[in-house]
Amino acid sequence: MALSRDAYRALEDIVGPGYISEDPAVMDSYAYQWLAETVRPNQSKFMPRPEAALLPGSTKEVQAIVRTCNKYKIKVKPYSTGWYFYGAPLTEGVIQLDMRRMDRILEIDEKNMFAVIEPYAIAGVLQAEVMKRGLNCTVTGAGASCSTLVGATCYHGSGGTSIYTGELRENLLGAEWVMPNGEILRTGSIGSGCGWFCAEGPGPSMRGIVRGALGARGGLGVYTKCAVKLSPWPGPVEFPVEGTAPAYRSPLPGNFRAYTLAFKDWDSLFEAYYRLYDNEIGYYAHRQWTMLGADLGPAFWMLYQDPTKSLDDIEEFVQKQEVKEFTEEMRRSFQLVLVGMSQRDIEYQDKVLERILEETGGWKVKKWLEPEMEQFALLYLLRLGKKNLNFVYTGGWVGNFMQVGTPDFVKKYRPLAEDATREYQEKGLLVDCGSDSMMGCVGSISGGGNCGLEQFGFYDVADKVSTAAAVEWMKHCIQEEAMHNIPPGKEGMYLAVGKTHEELQQDLAKQPATHTWQRKIKQALDPNDLGDRMYPTLDER
Amino acid sequence: MEMIGKQKIIKEHKILDSYSHDNSFTLPMQPRLVVQPRNADDVQKIVTWANRTKTPLVPVSSGEPHFHGDTVPSVPEAVIIDLRRMDKIIRIDRRNRMVLIEPGVTYAQLQPALAEEGLRLSTPLLPRQSKSVIASLLEREPTLVPKYNHTLLEPLRCLEIVWGNGEILRTGDAGGYYPTLEQQWEMGLAQVFSGGPGQVDYYRLVSGAQGSIGIVTWASVKCEVLPKVHRFFFIPADNLKGLVECAYRLLKVRLGDEFLVLNSASLAAILSRDADGIQALKNKLPPWVIIMGIAGRDLFPEEKVDFQEKDTRDIVHQFGLELLPAVSGIGGGQVMSTILNPSPVTYWKLTYKGACQDIFFMSTLDKISEFVNTVFAAANALRYPVSDIGIYLQPQHQGTACHCEFNLPYNSGNKIESDHVRELLDTCSEALIEQGAYFSRPYGIWADMVYNRDAGNKEMIKTIKGIFDPNNILNPGKLCF
Ligand SMILES: Cc1cc2nc3c(=O)[nH]c(=O)nc-3n(C[C@H](O)[C@H](O)[C@H](O)COP(=O)(O)OP(=O)(O)OC[C@H]3O[C@@H](n4cnc5c(N)ncnc54)[C@H](O)[C@@H]3O)c2cc1C
Ligand SMILES: Cc1cc2nc3c(=O)[nH]c(=O)nc-3n(C[C@H](O)[C@H](O)[C@H](O)COP(=O)(O)OP(=O)(O)OC[C@H]3O[C@@H](n4cnc5c(N)ncnc54)[C@H](O)[C@@H]3O)c2cc1C
Repeated sequence: MALSRDAYRALEDIVGPGYISEDPAVMDSYAYQWLAETVRPNQSKFMPRPEAALLPGSTKEVQAIVRTCNKYKIKVKPYSTGWYFYGAPLTEGVIQLDMRRMDRILEIDEKNMFAVIEPYAIAGVLQAEVMKRGLNCTVTGAGASCSTLVGATCYHGSGGTSIYTGELRENLLGAEWVMPNGEILRTGSIGSGCGWFCAEGPGPSMRGIVRGALGARGGLGVYTKCAVKLSPWPGPVEFPVEGTAPAYRSPLPGNFRAYTLAFKDWDSLFEAYYRLYDNEIGYYAHRQWTMLGADLGPAFWMLYQDPTKSLDDIEEFVQKQEVKEFTEEMRRSFQLVLVGMSQRDIEYQDKVLERILEETGGWKVKKWLEPEMEQFALLYLLRLGKKNLNFVYTGGWVGNFMQVGTPDFVKKYRPLAEDATREYQEKGLLVDCGSDSMMGCVGSISGGGNCGLEQFGFYDVADKVSTAAAVEWMKHCIQEEAMHNIPPGKEGMYLAVGKTHEELQQDLAKQPATHTWQRKIKQALDPNDLGDRMYPTLDER
Repeated sequence: MEMIGKQKIIKEHKILDSYSHDNSFTLPMQPRLVVQPRNADDVQKIVTWANRTKTPLVPVSSGEPHFHGDTVPSVPEAVIIDLRRMDKIIRIDRRNRMVLIEPGVTYAQLQPALAEEGLRLSTPLLPRQSKSVIASLLEREPTLVPKYNHTLLEPLRCLEIVWGNGEILRTGDAGGYYPTLEQQWEMGLAQVFSGGPGQVDYYRLVSGAQGSIGIVTWASVKCEVLPKVHRFFFIPADNLKGLVECAYRLLKVRLGDEFLVLNSASLAAILSRDADGIQALKNKLPPWVIIMGIAGRDLFPEEKVDFQEKDTRDIVHQFGLELLPAVSGIGGGQVMSTILNPSPVTYWKLTYKGACQDIFFMSTLDKISEFVNTVFAAANALRYPVSDIGIYLQPQHQGTACHCEFNLPYNSGNKIESDHVRELLDTCSEALIEQGAYFSRPYGIWADMVYNRDAGNKEMIKTIKGIFDPNNILNPGKLCF
């Protein structure tokens, strides 16, 4: 279903011939998506092909495109850094807006600690710029290559430093939004022409429509600019880098510490979360190393430090006595980076941490105290530039669970995540890296109080049986969760992409109020149904 | 009326009269009657009845005195829905540091109950005794501790809302998978997360809405650990500009807990019991002062306060200023015990001249000096005594924004004086808006000024109002509808 020539020309007139394409090969490059194989017929790696892709260069162009789409009743799907399959069209008849030309950092207000950015300004670039001014931004768990605007407006927005630097949802200040009806809304102070510093108001805060716990994920208009709050960075103006690829290291000054903290049992680990919240220490607090599995991860992190080794050597590493001890020592652990705003501050934080470890029976994992390991950890954790490691074992992974809540809540589903995974690993359908391959924030919001655990499963994208097993594993987790009165985790969100309309409606009917209000909002803002069901709504009866 | 059932209904003229005016210049309007619901069910019944009979409702949660005209009906035949009887502290959760309260709960009532559990709330500056915690947070009144102001709405988290159309929604993680609070508690959840449910932040829609979108019947609020050691300090200065530079540096690294800037008139009004006292103290105090509380809460509280004091002093010295335990004979302890508590019964802003008009808005600290000049110039032109103007600056959202407030005390019995203040309010507000002041909470005369400049938000607010309160039952005439 190609676009009518009239529509195509109208769109071409807006962006110019250089920034529109309907070349099938180009369209396929947009449709080719990680995770597509888990929801598409015949495990196809392609989402539906867009009818055309456009690269707008300004808000004005985006608005003109959306207006034209209203005229011709064409669906639009925006896409910034494009790391998730739901950024692609979910059906035929959709044009893809590729936002990569809008990649500027428009303003950094050093004193008032915020930056104004466009959709394709990625976290790594923003971080490098603001660090020059003694500031830092929240890099989400998706890493340095992802759009910060998307984290703030379209999707979730938490990361390892959220406990200190905030969730991007919290950090979102003014936003500029081309709504599906073609109107532009600027929320907060920027709407009154007073600058970008304030998210709320005037009066009832329409920031509430911009996004909720989740953003609209491309289903309700296009965000073209936003401001995000920044946090202090009492370190050098850029990361000093030493060592060789892949394990670059950053020797940071004496007010920085990176620890891997381990505990004898899970209760103690979660107790430590509560103690960190109450004592307000920690700049980065996250379970990160365990994402590669409690059995195999430690071997991987050691091997990774040696540039002469590759993944093929991991068997050999696992057998080493030193690695075995390391693995046991950090079996139940998380990472904590302390950053002192002054020397006195870091000394105080260290002292508090010692006491918390005494209280909870925890310890600092020795290997990670070695200067080179610590320097590796600092760069890795604070910049998060190595997200390709998620794919390291087999080229495919999926993260299940990750229901966010208090530590006391998360503690309740943690064993379930292990039980629901073990048999898939034992049968060799997922990488057998240890049934705890759980990662997640120690404090997913500013000041802590909430956390989560995401259970990784690594499947072989080139193997149909393994891919099918990953899908079965996701469904199995949903069943187990239901049996234990736990809400569906992230796997529910992934699988929803592939569901039929009827199946999805059944799911939405479980929380009717939310999805009915969303329907009413969508009806008001998207009368021609330009958006897709990533902003899900319950049908009117 | 039978729909309202057994609820308490008040029709006495004297009481109705008390709801018909307040301390603002809002035109008086007598309500038809007052209802006092006991629970969400009652509230829902009233709203349903109001929709059927097209009766305007004005929600009120705090006791008198009122100041912003938002609880005075704008249209005839309105019914006041007075939520003060809903004053239960439903649950205090020390471990997760959350408290769940009804709208009638006041700061004066809540703070001691929290203290028993080792918790406290950061409050607005000297809230009046009768001030509802929920109403204060919903109206985004600034609180004293910028570092805990993780967003502008903090520490407000989850709500139960009866929308204008009578439907109920629980917001944030209270509105998720587990339908009842009891189930949530059993699973270890504590209504911590404010977002959603789903892809809308509903709690933001009812914030700053002056009760015109939904009625909140309970809220969860994040608490702080009760300080074990808590000391207050002063950073005095002759001019605001230098002080602001210093404030930026301290705020950036999140030093201190309570953090606010007052001018001498404002600090004198807070500390004195009568007009003469205010007059005398004002003349002794430095023109501007940062008031900073430093708290040690959990482990090694002494050491925490000690190192923060030293770090603060180091920074303050770099700006040629001083960090002092007392100023003009006023000790930190006196300020602490005053500003950490609700106001004395005579609300502090009324002590000086019996009445007071406020002008407040949001901006960033670097712009405040210009706004001060504007207000002073306008006051001089109208021969309002500049030295009477109280100024309160409250950094918010961890220093990204700043609430700026001018207090204009006056004698309401004196017609000329109140006319002058009214005129001052008008001209200043226009001039400040022109200059870039962001009136994020547009009460009274500000609503038109603000919404006429922001057509986008005005349209959107009307759309949202149309969805959640299609019959325009809730507090009509206050914002842009
Ligand atoms: C979260 C996530 C989501 C992704 N989603 C998608 C998706 O939807 N669709 C998709 O197509 N891809 C996707 N990718 C894959 C992504 O595009 C690849 O990671 C990227 O193409 C490779 O870039 P890199 O910087 O990781 O490359 P590298 O890791 O540096 O290299 C990739 C390969 O190229 C080789 N190589 C590198 N440089 C050279 C050179 N100079 N000469 C010869 N060989 C070289 C390397 O040895 C390696 O085999 C995703 C990746 C991530 C992390
Ligand atoms: C390996 C991995 C780990 C992750 N970990 C985390 C994590 O820890 N915390 C977290 O919060 N998130 C996490 N995410 C999700 C991540 O936040 C988002 O993927 C990221 O923030 C946005 O970048 P993206 O490249 O996915 O955006 P895109 O794919 O470009 O966009 C994501 C969604 O937003 C829509 N969208 C994109 N741009 C716009 C726009 N300008 N206007 C309107 N809609 C738009 C798209 O249609 C799509 O539905 C993770 C993702 C991956 C792949």
